[in-house]
Amino acid sequence: MVNKRDASGSPAANGGAKWNAPTGRRTDEWSQALVLVGESQDRGAFTRFFRHFAPLIKAFALSGSSLSAAHADELVQEVMLKVWQKAGGFNPEKAAASTWVYTIARNCRTDMFRRLQKFDTQLAADDFELESEEEESFVVLHTRRGAERVRELMGELPPDQAQILAKVYMEGKSHSEAAAELDLPLGTVKSRVRLAIQKLQGLMEA
Amino acid sequence: MVQHHPPTDFLTEYAAGALPVAESACVSAHLSYCQRCRQSVDRLEDIGGAHFERLDPQPVGDSLLERVLARLDDPQPLRYAPSEASDTRLPGLLDRLINGDYADLVWKRVTQSLSISYLKTGDPNHEFALYRIAEGGRIPEHTHGGREMTLVLHGGFADESGEYHQGDFIVREGWDKHTPVALEGEECICLAVLDAPLQFTRLRHRWLNPLLKLRAG
Repeated sequence: MVNKRDASGSPAANGGAKWNAPTGRRTDEWSQALVLVGESQDRGAFTRFFRHFAPLIKAFALSGSSLSAAHADELVQEVMLKVWQKAGGFNPEKAAASTWVYTIARNCRTDMFRRLQKFDTQLAADDFELESEEEESFVVLHTRRGAERVRELMGELPPDQAQILAKVYMEGKSHSEAAAELDLPLGTVKSRVRLAIQKLQGLMEA
Repeated sequence: MVQHHPPTDFLTEYAAGALPVAESACVSAHLSYCQRCRQSVDRLEDIGGAHFERLDPQPVGDSLLERVLARLDDPQPLRYAPSEASDTRLPGLLDRLINGDYADLVWKRVTQSLSISYLKTGDPNHEFALYRIAEGGRIPEHTHGGREMTLVLHGGFADESGEYHQGDFIVREGWDKHTPVALEGEECICLAVLDAPLQFTRLRHRWLNPLLKLRAG
């Protein structure tokens, strides 16, 4: 039903405006800043990027209050240094700047948790990233639009689904950890996540 | 082509950084064989990005910016380079854990047609091991009482529920029993990630169970 409504015109209703929506333009500004950093080591662009994203990285570090303020600051530094080092590999056609920073922050936080737990592993979260390869251009377009759509559509999720998605993504909690914290059966958590993802993916693919 | 994929649950936890390191490594290895799941993960990461940009920004002092700016010219950390002996065409991560060729690993012979080599991921709760089954060979009927992820790296095998080839990803949970048999023609090598030990169910193999206690780490 959702798909039907969507296919029948919801995107078309704000069709042309979609690309100029505030979120879209803001994302483009940050993508451009990243490209400048990657291509010409532009410190001004990096500073602008820092002022916007560092407070978000800090919020991410403190989500679920799993890290101390000092560790959160350390994480901000690590992530922003990685942004500087990896900006050359950023492809604005393939990923949104916020998704790109999110994956770096996620990996750095995972490594920091493991360090703090004296977890003895030779693997860093970055090792799990695949070498970026050339994807078909229709795939790229699809991915790029998907990122914009998902942003628009998150607000349409029912609160119980949105709450669990936020817990899984921002706090890095497994389904069973989320179930324990929210005092819900594991099956309930799994089905809420699954419904939310289906809804977002269904809408993205529509 | 890859026919069997991780369920969306796992891909979501993977994209959210919520899977334990051993399971994460297994999913990541599957992604290197499977474009479809790579695309799914890209989209699932977009959901992370959308949450991320909506977080309530927390104040960050200018001193932190100064410190980062001062470190921009620091030499970059060395990156791991893939080994030369890459004729096995393994996913990079496994290539690194195996650090050489299958033949260089320590293989523990469990039955006539099954050998196991344990790899070290540092994950305190999961065993991460390669299973090598001789062509046409069989792993005796077994169960786990936990979660088992399997990824076919070489050759293929069949069990009660289907046939699996390179890149296929299979999950079993709980006390499901199965009896994998390697396909004819070549040996089969699989990666298996377990959170509970393998247990042979038939009387004539049960005496081997103490040898199979979970080797996490």
